[in-house]
Amino acid sequence: MNWPDLSMGGYGFYIWGSYLVSLIAIVWEVVSLKQRKKALTQQQKQSSNSVPASVLRGSVNETTS
Amino acid sequence: MNLYKYASPATFYPLAGKMIPWFAIPAAILFATGLFVGFFIAPPDFQQGEAYRIIFIHVPAAWMGMLLYVLMAIYAGIGWAFNARLSSMMASSLAVTGAMFTAIALITGAFWGKPTWGTWWVWDARMTSTLILMFLYIGFISLQAAIDDPRRADRAGAVLALVGVINIPIIYFSVQWWNTLHQGATIRILQKPTIRGSMLAALLIMLAACWLYSVAVVLIRLRCIILEREQNASRFAEVGV
Repeated sequence: MNWPDLSMGGYGFYIWGSYLVSLIAIVWEVVSLKQRKKALTQQQKQSSNSVPASVLRGSVNETTS
Repeated sequence: MNLYKYASPATFYPLAGKMIPWFAIPAAILFATGLFVGFFIAPPDFQQGEAYRIIFIHVPAAWMGMLLYVLMAIYAGIGWAFNARLSSMMASSLAVTGAMFTAIALITGAFWGKPTWGTWWVWDARMTSTLILMFLYIGFISLQAAIDDPRRADRAGAVLALVGVINIPIIYFSVQWWNTLHQGATIRILQKPTIRGSMLAALLIMLAACWLYSVAVVLIRLRCIILEREQNASRFAEVGV
């Protein structure tokens, strides 16, 4: 095992830059999926216990008639 | 056991939930292992010095960009031909991860091109065709987003995805067909690879990690898409539209 030199023989900026960009992309994907999932489960809770179908029906009728 | 029942989004949803950790955890372990082998064990390249270490993310990302596109087109095609909703949802889910990996491949490629070729970007065959792949992904995602009816969006997306498949062999063979700055393939199916064992090991471990990661996030997104569509459907059902 050999410890790599952080400057990477002068290529440090390019190597760490590309791994940083990849890390950001992966973290972005995972975090945005977590938020999407969270929003969905909250919506599901709201729609199942607070908004009765009759309210929705009323609002739809108002807008369509 | 009736396997066909898993073609229904409602029955696939809990199964996908159970599958996710089996892919996500090994993915994290393999990412760590691959980077360890790539940075601590693999020696510097005799031509490119340390700069070549970008390939441990660049090459797997580029492969995933192409493979996920082919998978996306197959799922979209099946969804279109057999009217299979789950298959079309899978295609929509694959598109985002495929686009992300293609973006990583393009950006890390630029980071690699600058020190080794002296330029961030050239309009050569492989890079241009990979950029077109990126546009195909973006086109697929925005086309689906622009159409309100999900089933119509699935069909329109399928046509785009299937036509775009022609770009995949163009990317793959571009380094043979045209004179290009991009180096040829290092790992070939029928011949011995032209790199050292530890470099190859790091590359393959990173590729496996990217695969497992893709399966995990695609399943997570698929579950979100199933929920979103079912919610919309049940809301319409409630008001009797």
